[in-house]
Amino acid sequence: MPVAPRLTRRITSNAPCAALCAGVGLLLAGCASTTSSPTPTAVSARPSNIPVTKLVGRWGVASYREEKDRQRTEAQARSHCRQPYVIAKGPTDGVMMHVADDPKPYELTLKGGSDGKTYLGFEAPPGDPQDREIVSFNDNLMVMRWVSPDVNTRYGTFVYVRCK
Amino acid sequence: MTKSYVGALQRVAGRLGFAICALVLMAVAPSPGWAQGARAVETMSVGDEPGRISTEEVAITEGPFARQLVLFRSNEAPGTLVVHTSERFLYVVMGNNRALRYGIGVGREGFQWSGLVRISRKAEWPDWTPPPEMISRQPYLPRFMAGGPGNPMGARAMYLGGTIYRIHGTNQPETIGHAVSSGCFRLANGDVIDLYTRVPVGTKVVIRHAASV
Repeated sequence: MPVAPRLTRRITSNAPCAALCAGVGLLLAGCASTTSSPTPTAVSARPSNIPVTKLVGRWGVASYREEKDRQRTEAQARSHCRQPYVIAKGPTDGVMMHVADDPKPYELTLKGGSDGKTYLGFEAPPGDPQDREIVSFNDNLMVMRWVSPDVNTRYGTFVYVRCK
Repeated sequence: MTKSYVGALQRVAGRLGFAICALVLMAVAPSPGWAQGARAVETMSVGDEPGRISTEEVAITEGPFARQLVLFRSNEAPGTLVVHTSERFLYVVMGNNRALRYGIGVGREGFQWSGLVRISRKAEWPDWTPPPEMISRQPYLPRFMAGGPGNPMGARAMYLGGTIYRIHGTNQPETIGHAVSSGCFRLANGDVIDLYTRVPVGTKVVIRHAASV
């Protein structure tokens, strides 16, 4: 998987185009209407308090929208370890995961924001619309929500339970 | 419907593998000999759009599939639901040769069925479990999605006896009037909410595959 650690990658839900862009290592900067124009990475990211390697592994994943559903969503996530979401170490210092509405995996990294929050996403400034915010994290359970309000409304808050 | 046909449907559905209702309702055991319908694995169309929003307010307001009071001759008791899959209509029998009619989406060819069942359970904003095939295509999806406006099951669900089928809402209201599912009956969210308030558990549901006079 090509990686451009010094570039910001902005993709849209146009999966084929996004995949193409990823596949050629962002050389196609003018990928039509998807505004995938590389720009220098902002330097506002702080080191994350969470080692990115802690994300690597097999996780049961479920989502909820209302807090009342969180507990049973955790149980559902745990039960779906039979169909786990696998997070692998990326080629550089990130992990291979998906962003919303795109079936291609990308190398994402953890970023500390100036707001004290931790984000997971491309090497864009923390809090980028394609990022996830790490709501809570421990070795066996992590909760993330999409920064984009639209995506968060559509897919809800994700619960990851580490599979034994 | 013969057992061999049912078996064929099951095999077809198994190959297609879009087994949403089956996955969601794994705990629901079919009740052989009650409903006459195919025990095919319930599926949703490939074009499902999990994550797409359709609110409680979305209802069909124009055209034949809009909710409306109609003349309806039937020997069924008031309160009975009658589903005409060929017409894409669901009727709530009102008595005096009248019924409240809703436009519905029905099972696509090969996934339509007929039978007599009762509403066994009701749920608001039912949960949804994407089938494995959908996860393969859209690996960013959660393996379980608690009920909500982005959920393909929509705002309400009424479970049909011990079958794997249900009457439910949808986040794709444009599919009302079409044969798109694999056996479930879908209504626009605003309409399924209206129906939900009229239909208690135990309600008799007659599913007719061909339009009757």
